[in-house]
Amino acid sequence: MLDQIEDLKRRIEAETLDSEEAVEAYRIRYLGQRNGLVTLLARQMSQVPRAERPAVGQALNALKRLAEQRLEDARNRLRQHRQTRPVDLDLTLPGRRAFVGSVHPLTQTLEDITRFFERYGFSVETGPEIEDDWHNFTALNFPPDHPARDMQDTFFLEEPTQGKDGVVLRTHTSPVQIRVMESRRPPLRIIAPGRVYRNEAISFKSFCLFHQVEGLYVDEGVSMADLKQILHAFARALFGDDVQMRFRPSFFPFTEPSAEVDIWWPDANRPGGGRWMEILGCGMVDPNVLEACGIDAERYTGYAFGMGVERITMLRYDIDDIRIFYENDLRFLQQF
Amino acid sequence: MNISYNWLREYVDLDLEPGAVGEVLTMLGLEVDGIETIGPSLEGVVVGHVLEVQPHPNADRLTLCRVDLGDGEPVQIVCGAPNVAAGQYVPVATVGTTLHLPDRKNPAERVAVTIKSARLRGETSEGMICAEDELGLSDDHSGIMVLDGAATAGEPFRDYLARQGVSVQDTVYDVAITPNRPDAVSHIGVARDLAARLGKPLRKPAVELPEDGGAVAEQVTVRIEAPEACPRYVAMRVRGVTVQESPAWLQQRLRAVGLRPINNIVDVTNYVMYECGQPLHAFDVECLAGRSIVVREAGAGERFTTLDGKERLLPEGALMICDTERMVAIAGVMGGENSEVTDRTTDVLIESAYFDPASIRRTARALGMQTDASYRFERGVDPEGQVWAAARAAALMAELGGGRVEPGVVDAHPNPIERRAVRLRRGRLTQMLGVEVPVGDVEAYLTALGFELTPEGAVSYWCTVPSFRPDIEREVDVIEEVARLYGYDRIPEPDRIPIPNQVPREAPEARLRRRSRTVLLGRGFREVYVNSLLRRDVAERFNQPVLRAGRPAGAIVETLKPISQEMAALRPSLLPGVLQILAHNQNHGQDVLRFMEFGHVFVRADEAGAPVPGYAEHTALLLALSGPDTPVAWDRAPRAVDFFDLKGAVEDLLDALRLPDVTMTPVYDATPVTAYHLEVRAGDVRLGIVARLAEAVQEAYDLREPVYFAELDWDALVDRAAERLEPAYQPVSRFPVVSRDLAVLVDRDQPAGPLLAAIREAGGALLLEATVFDLYQGDRLEPGKKSLAFALRFGADRTLTDREVDACVQGIVAVLEQRFGARLRQ
Repeated sequence: MLDQIEDLKRRIEAETLDSEEAVEAYRIRYLGQRNGLVTLLARQMSQVPRAERPAVGQALNALKRLAEQRLEDARNRLRQHRQTRPVDLDLTLPGRRAFVGSVHPLTQTLEDITRFFERYGFSVETGPEIEDDWHNFTALNFPPDHPARDMQDTFFLEEPTQGKDGVVLRTHTSPVQIRVMESRRPPLRIIAPGRVYRNEAISFKSFCLFHQVEGLYVDEGVSMADLKQILHAFARALFGDDVQMRFRPSFFPFTEPSAEVDIWWPDANRPGGGRWMEILGCGMVDPNVLEACGIDAERYTGYAFGMGVERITMLRYDIDDIRIFYENDLRFLQQF
Repeated sequence: MNISYNWLREYVDLDLEPGAVGEVLTMLGLEVDGIETIGPSLEGVVVGHVLEVQPHPNADRLTLCRVDLGDGEPVQIVCGAPNVAAGQYVPVATVGTTLHLPDRKNPAERVAVTIKSARLRGETSEGMICAEDELGLSDDHSGIMVLDGAATAGEPFRDYLARQGVSVQDTVYDVAITPNRPDAVSHIGVARDLAARLGKPLRKPAVELPEDGGAVAEQVTVRIEAPEACPRYVAMRVRGVTVQESPAWLQQRLRAVGLRPINNIVDVTNYVMYECGQPLHAFDVECLAGRSIVVREAGAGERFTTLDGKERLLPEGALMICDTERMVAIAGVMGGENSEVTDRTTDVLIESAYFDPASIRRTARALGMQTDASYRFERGVDPEGQVWAAARAAALMAELGGGRVEPGVVDAHPNPIERRAVRLRRGRLTQMLGVEVPVGDVEAYLTALGFELTPEGAVSYWCTVPSFRPDIEREVDVIEEVARLYGYDRIPEPDRIPIPNQVPREAPEARLRRRSRTVLLGRGFREVYVNSLLRRDVAERFNQPVLRAGRPAGAIVETLKPISQEMAALRPSLLPGVLQILAHNQNHGQDVLRFMEFGHVFVRADEAGAPVPGYAEHTALLLALSGPDTPVAWDRAPRAVDFFDLKGAVEDLLDALRLPDVTMTPVYDATPVTAYHLEVRAGDVRLGIVARLAEAVQEAYDLREPVYFAELDWDALVDRAAERLEPAYQPVSRFPVVSRDLAVLVDRDQPAGPLLAAIREAGGALLLEATVFDLYQGDRLEPGKKSLAFALRFGADRTLTDREVDACVQGIVAVLEQRFGARLRQ
């Protein structure tokens, strides 16, 4: 029996398995369910004397493993061979791309800004681009002869006449503050994104319209410290955790105290290694504004801020000409 | 305005470098927009000791000097000045130094010259002994500068000058003064803020104030006929002056702030204005008829020639300074040619007035003039500063012009402006700032700014506001002053932010807009931002009812006095803007063009609930496409887009927004902007149109390929979609779906839409879905016919039998036969 096993082992090792057919013939010859030589041999185990059985069994198992191993190896080899490259396959051809559009960079910045403030409980409000004098100027504490009320800076649609308010293209998003405060009571926590207009010559740094995001928070006990805190958090969110921010006194008719916020913009080519860039204006809501909306300025305080979306986008992407946002050249749009 | 560092130092001690002072100013709210260093650097100019002077062997006018420059071996320098002599200490520009020498041909210009080691007529010269003009110190070229006082050979010349109290260099700040700070439009005003912030005393020049009345009051009369516009007019007189060039120090001050020196009298008025903020005017008394000043308002149509030689038509009501016969100045704006100080003037009347800011602003604007004076009057000068400024100027004129100040002053003061007192509560201060400023600091800041504080108990003060701060009217204004001086940067930020426990829900509009963008992005649309302003004729062309989605039509909205005709009207539709973008990109070699825009559109119409009555404004969404359907690729040939590319995009969009009951009704008639279109509705709400652009418009924009566009009323869309923001979930059926195809022959002009609608109706509840999967109208059919094939899917909450489905299909076929004369195709 052991001789037979040994003999079979040599025959198995001598087989050449280089084609599908040879492999199949081999499988039938040695491992076939009915007449496979190894199978037949195993059936003779019952005739082996009891004493020899362990040794013969061991040898037989080894033989069976060998036969199966060769079969598997041969199959793997053939499969691998089969998988080698068909002549007409070129994997370097471009993929079949979907043809995707793009979201304007101003929308992207706007969404980053609103997303930040929404996380801190601000809700988004909007207002009309055509505004009346009251909402755009008077309620915001602009004195009657303020230069902004001049036609050189503001697009008027109707001049104010005796007894009738003028109508303008809003010069800022601040009128939304007024519309919200006229219709709701504190606590108020809103942002108002939107388009605003200036009657100015178009150049690389100014356009006749741009976009702003206005913010307003009115409640009991709101302080300048709260204002600094939210704006600093905002600057970190937009410009990175190590952003340097400064808060300096300024003037707006509708806030008091007022401030402008600069961030440090590193630039190795400048003396001092960079410069301060203004990103927004802000301040504590002027009591006159609260009173104009019928809110008790003694009980409530609030802060407000406004930022230019174009300006921030230009900073983020190092864009130096505001007009490019409105030209909508595909070579520009597809970069965003 | 320009503020000079050296000038500031006359009023406050500054230990800080000019750059650091600039930072302090900015953080005080006096924003420094630019810093410029002016004056010669004198780098390389040292003190030389002239040891020996010999005649030049080859030139009569030159001398050879041996000069000790403090570095051991003396050098030889050739000098041409007549006054050089042994033993003198002189400024020497060493070899390598660059000087900005006066151009002899054009004395106003200077040219950069680098001193080189040279041979002059055969003799070496290692440097240059300098005259004052060569160093930029003055225009004096009479000889070299001979130094008096202690000088050491070799020391930098700059150090020598510094010991003499001469600053050759100055730093000039361009300070952006906010409109609420009229007090800061002067060096003393800026110095006051600096002094208060740095804790240093403010030194105002000592001025002897004249007694009210006196000799002047007998010589000069002032009559104010417009007391509202002119609450105060102060006049002083200086006699016997010689009008001449101002001394170097005064010229230097004026040049530093960007003014051109004229003569000592005019220069003094400007100097005092930049010193204390009070504009002054100097009249030649000889030119004032009756030695009188009358302040009145101009009547209609009056004309006046200002001292720049221009005749101007005066706006009615402009405040004018007159004598007994004629006008002599436009108050607060500019003096007149007829009374200005000239070389022959010896007798000067100084005007120092307080004019009403609004009056001056109206006049200046109407005349289109902004002068140094009007700029200050418009903001409001110190109503108590007139006498001081006049006396200061009079003293300087007398000193520089050799005249004498006539005793006394005319002070016409019909409407004194009272000082205000404002209550400041410390608790309110702390609450507003979010930090408690130490009480000693509060008092120190306010006192240094000129407030007078009277404590009221332990918790508040009455603050008397200085006359030069008209902006301070309320407690909050005082709080800002404290905050400014304390430093905004020192206000601490709390560690935590309280957030309301009810976080606001995102507005449906924002959510729907984001969803729409995503869908359209996936279909290749690029978002654009377009100018809302356009030319009037363009706005008119696109002001079409078909683009209004059923909203009331109206005239276009026009802007008054736009600076350009390109901004004369507001867009009534988003279409013209996007057409321009299509053209721009087409002309820049792009062909696959797909754009979307969200934007407001405007007409003059009455709409219920409009924020501004008479103006209809709503948000529209525009989609436009043109050119090939995809970019070129290796495995497919792009085809030109057609109407159904756009219709599909709109259907995808409306689907994604879950708009209920959408119908699209064809309109085959052309309008001025469309060739044909579909009218889109959700139920009975009109949402807008899907259209092919009229060819005439396409040609007008030079667009080579057909353009398809959809203009939708986004506000209406949001209103309808907001009803169903969340999907209505239906349990998924576990039973199989049965598919059947159905092809029918119909007349060629039979639209597919009604067939599909009839199939859906006839299919009833069992028919889950019906789509058109083939359209054939080729030769193999009988003439005048086309074949439409539909894919039908049936299902129910049970397994359908073939019999049920067959019956349903037969029912559908019957309806198609009856209603459309359709024949089943085998």
